[in-house]
Amino acid sequence: MNMKILIKKATIVNYDKISEADILISGDKIVKISKNIKEKVDREINAAGKHVLPGFIDMHVHLRTPGREDEEDFLSGSLAAAKGGFTTVFCMPNTSPCIDNEGLANWVREEAQRIGLVDIWPIGAITKNREGRELTEFGAFKKVGCMALSDDGNSVEDSFLFRCALEYAKMFDLLTISHCEDKNLSRQGSMRESFISSKYGIGSIPDISETVRLYRDIEIARYVDARLHLAHVSCAKSVEVIADKKEHFPGLSCETAPHYFILTVDDVEKSAFNANFKVNPPLGKKEDVEAVRSALKKGIIDCIATDHAPHSAAEKELPFEDAPFGFIGLELCFALVYTYLVTKDILDIKGLVEKLSYNPARILRLGNKGKIQEGLLADLVITDLRKEWEVKKDSLVSKSKNTPFLDSTLKGTVNYTIHRGKVVYESTGL
Amino acid sequence: MSGWLKKHIIALKDLERREIELIFDAAQSFKEISQREVKKTPALRGKTVINLFFENSTRTRVSFELAAKRLSADVLNFSSSTSSLAKGESIIDIIKNLESYHPDIFVIRIGSSASLRTLTQYTKASVINAGDGKNEHPTQALLDMFTVKKARGTVENLKILIVGDILHSRVARSNIFGFQKFSSQVRVCGPSTLIPYEFDKLGVEIFYDLDKAIEDVDVIIMLRVQRERQALSFFPSLREYVDKFSLSPERLKRAKKDCIVMHPGPINWDVEISSSLKEQLHPLILRQVENGLAVRMAVLYLVGTRKK
Ligand SMILES: [Zn+2]
Repeated sequence: MNMKILIKKATIVNYDKISEADILISGDKIVKISKNIKEKVDREINAAGKHVLPGFIDMHVHLRTPGREDEEDFLSGSLAAAKGGFTTVFCMPNTSPCIDNEGLANWVREEAQRIGLVDIWPIGAITKNREGRELTEFGAFKKVGCMALSDDGNSVEDSFLFRCALEYAKMFDLLTISHCEDKNLSRQGSMRESFISSKYGIGSIPDISETVRLYRDIEIARYVDARLHLAHVSCAKSVEVIADKKEHFPGLSCETAPHYFILTVDDVEKSAFNANFKVNPPLGKKEDVEAVRSALKKGIIDCIATDHAPHSAAEKELPFEDAPFGFIGLELCFALVYTYLVTKDILDIKGLVEKLSYNPARILRLGNKGKIQEGLLADLVITDLRKEWEVKKDSLVSKSKNTPFLDSTLKGTVNYTIHRGKVVYESTGL
Repeated sequence: MSGWLKKHIIALKDLERREIELIFDAAQSFKEISQREVKKTPALRGKTVINLFFENSTRTRVSFELAAKRLSADVLNFSSSTSSLAKGESIIDIIKNLESYHPDIFVIRIGSSASLRTLTQYTKASVINAGDGKNEHPTQALLDMFTVKKARGTVENLKILIVGDILHSRVARSNIFGFQKFSSQVRVCGPSTLIPYEFDKLGVEIFYDLDKAIEDVDVIIMLRVQRERQALSFFPSLREYVDKFSLSPERLKRAKKDCIVMHPGPINWDVEISSSLKEQLHPLILRQVENGLAVRMAVLYLVGTRKK
């Protein structure tokens, strides 16, 4: 017998429409959406005054497993995702060992299924050990269910090899995700090249390090007509290029992360160079934040991913230049988007759903996710848009606590997360 | 008594003009003491100063060590090149470890820029910056300014020129912030590749032509050329560098008559400065070293005796 859940009086938000209705879930699917559903169910949830959104899909997380299970593992990562309203996450292959073969990719899926809280789908490496020398077996990845490939953390330096990767990926209908960075320009810098980096003599990464590589990647993908997704777009110059290229190249999509539309180099200085403000690509200038916001509004940037990057406390306590890059994001993303984009009229709540659910599903061709619709998977988030909360270190369920948003007050809470018809998170403070 | 309040001396950016003046006053009295037969004062008796050097710098360390000893403090030297450390991680461990000796002052030299604020969290002691990456080297700038003050009677409303590798120079940054607090105008001159991004926003004038930059200046600070750094991607050859940026007698003539030339040392003669100027310029550069001792005594004294 299928488990049945009835969500009453929901304000249902899809990317294109808001409606009021009840939602009936049976097994892992949404079976009925209509007013006043009367049905004997196992559980009824009163969603009056709450907004019900399609489960969020994060195209870019680092779950540190295998290799750094002290920083995150599939269980803690799943708990963090569920708490943040994510029902699907795609994990990057920069693990140790690297997910550059189907055996490891398959193991990730099996482990995630065993935990069963959210879907964790591995992104296969483009090249062996992400070294940019030899392609991995894309066909083998495809067989175990991989949908995308990336050497995230590295860009494939060799332009010919990158061309081959894109052409070869096309044969398996795999999406290539690019980490756009010219490391010769980055020169092991720690923050965005800016007046602030010059004032403190901090090794710096110019925005062109992202933009020139992004331009190359787009033109190669366009040349071979392969689908390309750009990870963590962070600056105005990149936005300008994407806006121009998207007109001619429909296979192009991109994401940004919440910090790129909220924080700037000034916040790095204000933190007195706290390594919790160190991320790659680095935080930009005010004009970058504005460009990213406006690109989200105009649809130039398709989605918001967290680039969830857990790091141990010991590593993030190091001096700024010595500490590793990255922020955690799964538990904060929804509230950050709501607080900094929706309440500021940059996106409406439908726009939030488009960036966090609908577009990722479209880009990754997940036909049964990303919308609240009869017949689709019951991946849902029940949210309270009026409620404020404070980001407290101790309340984070991720194993790592490295976020620049500690102690800030955000608006919008996740009250329930339902994954494939199962309540996987339920907030206690209702 | 001295009116000094700051716990740490980390950057000239953060010091007020009044505080810099207090340091000059104290340095002046210590300079006098250093000329006496008995050079020691009991000012920091019973206090412990730890020199913690994660980068090699015998000159700065020796200067701080002698300064602390002349103030009768107990001095501990801990040097460890970053290469012999497993990872930056253990820097914090080392500080926590040395904290067990209840030091009063840590004098720290470290390779990572702007890192000392983070490190102050791990100790109850005061921290004095002896050079942090490319950020600042406050005592070097203070001794440069003190030297100018002694030679010219003031550090106010002067034209200061800093020549060379500005990008990698903590000495340049500290001097800029220091002199600007006294309404002096700072010019920087060097290969365009070694001038930091948007550096004009700091309120400095940027020159690529030393002959023009040098006109009318009161003070010239020649920076050391780091031959060991991968300098070659920044400029093609030492020959071309010398041709464009070395201080020669002809060039020096374009500066003010009583212009002061300083160098943080050690000098590469005939690279930064023509050796034909050695006799003329060396005495003042050596006086910088002497003033360095007085300035370091001053900062140790002020921080070590501050009212809590
Ligand atoms: Zn990346």
